[in-house]
Amino acid sequence: MFGWQRRRKQLLDEIETHIEFETQRNIEAGMPNDQAAQAARKKFGNVLLTAERTREGWGALWLENLVRDVRYAVRNLSAAPSYTAVLVCTLTLGLGCVTAMLAIVQSVLLLPVNLPHPEQLVQIYSTDQTQGFAASPHALSYSAIDTLRRDSRSFSGISGYNMMVRPVVTAEGARIEPVMEVTSNLFQTLGVPVKLGRPFRSDDAKASVALISDEFWRDRLHGDPGAIGAALTISGKQWTVVGVLPRGFHAPGTTGGPIVYLPISLGPTGEDEFQIESAAVIARFKDGVSIEQARDEAQTVFVHAGGTDAERHRVLKVRPYMDLVTGDEQRPLWALLGAALVLLLIACANAANLQIGRTTSRMPEMEVRSALGAGFGRLMQQLVTENVLVSLVGAALGAGLSFIVVATVRRAYGGEYPRFDELRVHPLVLCAACLLAAAVGFIASVAPALRIRRETRGRLTTRSTTRKSRAPGLLVALQVALTCVLLVTSGLFVRTLISLEDVKLGFDPRGVTTLVLMPENPQQDPQLSRAIETRLLHRFENLPGIQSVTLQTRIPFSHYQVALNGTTDVSGRQFQKGDSAHYSFVSTDFVKTSGIELLSGRGFQPADESSGAIAVLVNEAFVTKFLNGRDPSGAIIRFHRNPGDKDSDLPFMQPMTVVGVVENEVQGGDLGAPYEPMVYIDYLALPIDSFLSQVFSMSAQYAVRSTLPEATVASELRAAVKQEAPTMVEMSLEPMQESVSESLGQRRLALRLVAGFGVVALILSAVGIYGVLAYAVALRRREIGIRMALGSTRRRAAGLVVRQAGTMVLLGLIPGIAAAWVAGHAVRSFLFGVKALDAETLIAAGAVLLIVSTAAAFIPAIRAAQVDPVETLRAE
Amino acid sequence: MSTRQPNGQLDLMQGTLDLLILQTLAVGRAHGHAIACSIERRSEDVLQVGHGSLYPALQRLLKLGLIVAEDGISENNRKARFYRLTAKGRRQLFAEASKWQRFSNAMARILAPAMEENS
Repeated sequence: MFGWQRRRKQLLDEIETHIEFETQRNIEAGMPNDQAAQAARKKFGNVLLTAERTREGWGALWLENLVRDVRYAVRNLSAAPSYTAVLVCTLTLGLGCVTAMLAIVQSVLLLPVNLPHPEQLVQIYSTDQTQGFAASPHALSYSAIDTLRRDSRSFSGISGYNMMVRPVVTAEGARIEPVMEVTSNLFQTLGVPVKLGRPFRSDDAKASVALISDEFWRDRLHGDPGAIGAALTISGKQWTVVGVLPRGFHAPGTTGGPIVYLPISLGPTGEDEFQIESAAVIARFKDGVSIEQARDEAQTVFVHAGGTDAERHRVLKVRPYMDLVTGDEQRPLWALLGAALVLLLIACANAANLQIGRTTSRMPEMEVRSALGAGFGRLMQQLVTENVLVSLVGAALGAGLSFIVVATVRRAYGGEYPRFDELRVHPLVLCAACLLAAAVGFIASVAPALRIRRETRGRLTTRSTTRKSRAPGLLVALQVALTCVLLVTSGLFVRTLISLEDVKLGFDPRGVTTLVLMPENPQQDPQLSRAIETRLLHRFENLPGIQSVTLQTRIPFSHYQVALNGTTDVSGRQFQKGDSAHYSFVSTDFVKTSGIELLSGRGFQPADESSGAIAVLVNEAFVTKFLNGRDPSGAIIRFHRNPGDKDSDLPFMQPMTVVGVVENEVQGGDLGAPYEPMVYIDYLALPIDSFLSQVFSMSAQYAVRSTLPEATVASELRAAVKQEAPTMVEMSLEPMQESVSESLGQRRLALRLVAGFGVVALILSAVGIYGVLAYAVALRRREIGIRMALGSTRRRAAGLVVRQAGTMVLLGLIPGIAAAWVAGHAVRSFLFGVKALDAETLIAAGAVLLIVSTAAAFIPAIRAAQVDPVETLRAE
Repeated sequence: MSTRQPNGQLDLMQGTLDLLILQTLAVGRAHGHAIACSIERRSEDVLQVGHGSLYPALQRLLKLGLIVAEDGISENNRKARFYRLTAKGRRQLFAEASKWQRFSNAMARILAPAMEENS
């Protein structure tokens, strides 16, 4: 290679010539021939050593050595296939998991979003509560956005958006789609061009124009390039499609999919066409402005802005756009990466252990090489080369594994979690994995190398015999400790899931189907909406096999909920700040349909609708908070009027009378959420002039209880809607139980991943324990034979091995439990119904570890018991 | 990198050996054996050069461009590899030699009284 062979031969020839000349000189000086040659050689010294040192000067010797080492390593490893296979599998698992997690973390959290200068994009928001109807709790009012735009100097663009769902009617019919109303400069601020047509212009605010996402264009308009100019009907108004956004662009807070973008057009009252007064804000700050400067200036401008008193006192926050997109994913992903690294550590300990075992059998080879002049550095180089080679093979296979994992995750969750559709294994991650592999290979060769150093230093050999079995034991203890952490963490997640599944729902989802409908034109007269909704309600009630039906604006675990959180006055109680309750509008058969338990009083009756008084049910949490110790029945509730509020700011003025108390039910979509005070109002008793009836008429949510199969119920309901109310568009129709179980999806995914890591760790630890014990038995064969010859039994011989296993596991369990407690503490925000230090989980994890390690110790123990004393003594 | 120092040889300082080789080649080209013998002879056997250690040094000088190697025929009609000083090597030799001279003089002055006391 590189002419080395030729140069090497030339050098050796030269040296030979040199020795010949010297011999000649010696002969001339009168020495006998053979003596002359010997003296010449002696004078010259070690020929090969000289050649080697000379060649060092050529500079490429290390490369030559490396090539030789690699060749040698390949030969060596292929001579021990089972050892190599176990080592490579171990490293493939460890490195594969880490590479996959690194790829996910990098794709989702580290790579900038695919927008020009994403570091300049921020969300401006406030977490303080607002009043009135806001699209999101983070939103700022349009007037505040205007002021910010007018008076601040730090930003090159400030834009707003609101997300909602609306029936979108194309030439082919109506379907409910996400609709985002945006300020006309949103895409300009983000830096997204259109791929077809034209973007929004500043004078588009009053025009009926729309942009559509690439997915909408493909799904609903067949990807027709002539779709520009197509008409869409949304909320009873015609909009003309003027442009299509590029593929892969995801609107803020979404994971893609079909979306229609409409320009925000403000009316004289500061509300937009959808009666929304505020929007989420995305801004881009100018070059050279820091995020802190931008925030400070925004706050100053905000304080001096108009708007209501409450609004001016809100504290503004600014966060990078990236946090808006991936904020919820950061902690779980980093935690999973941590788990993967723990796994890699375990794999690394395994590799080191396998090495140590193998080094023993290679000791004679090392001693010979050392005696022939190889320095410790040279031997170390050989070892490291071999290890790094194996690690790199592991890394290559691990990279393959990670490609599969990442592709699977992308397919399964691409549309579910932000940026998961962008998952890729980038070359940088592969480089990082290679470096990690090299590091692992190097670390794993340290222990065996030290061993060689000790053994090749002559005198110390005998003294080190007692020490040599300690390192593997400690490494196994480390593995056990780390495995314990992963097992306990998975255990905590399992307990969390069980607790969540055991949560008292308060309602009975079995046999209930939920149906959400929207009128094609949500702006239609509320009275008409109510007539349609009532007609449908009665139609459903009379369908065969349907037990009961209720309207319910806040069906737990439904994808679409209309939430009203109102400040509340209860007669006989002084109003305090924070006195608020959630209001859900239901119909007469609510109690029966929901399966919620009526604790006292009565449910709704048909007569309530026409009685004039508004009858309400409250839940236990409400009674505890507002009516402590009083008889709830007959209590009067009103919406609280804040100073300065007009009549029209309140949902309605009429007093509500409590007629009964129901048990708490889980609200929203989170089983772990605490119970909130709830007031259930009969929807049909809602005063028709209340602005609430306008809001609630935009959608109709039904819960239907039936003993029929789900599919039958679904088709019955669909047929009834088609016949009775063809203008109502179906948004969702699904069994309630499914929605409840879907709400655990994210936690299930986390559990699956952590538990997967735990199982892999367990396997690796078992391999580690088995390896160390098998090796120990092989080493102690002689000793065991002698013990038996001296009268020890097979049982005791096996006990010897089991005791060694027990010591290693116990040694690892103690720090493992401590570390598991720390890990439990770190993930406590993901836990529910279980403490970070949970005795049962610890015991279970410990038991699993003990069982697995006993199983791993089984074969070596049997082997120890089968040692034949006669054979051993004969060998002596 | 990977080999042990041979024991029991008088180790010449690397720079010194280089200088001796350059000095030897100043009078004309020579092969490895001739260089070794010349150094031995001229230092009146005070400096015993391990013949083996000559070759790494030659390699070093070749790499620095101070000498060049060429094939030739030796005085007893054998094929051998000859080394010759380059212009750069000659300059280097003068620079090093005068530096060495100054150093040697300085050392002699420092050690002179001590040697007198001892003797």
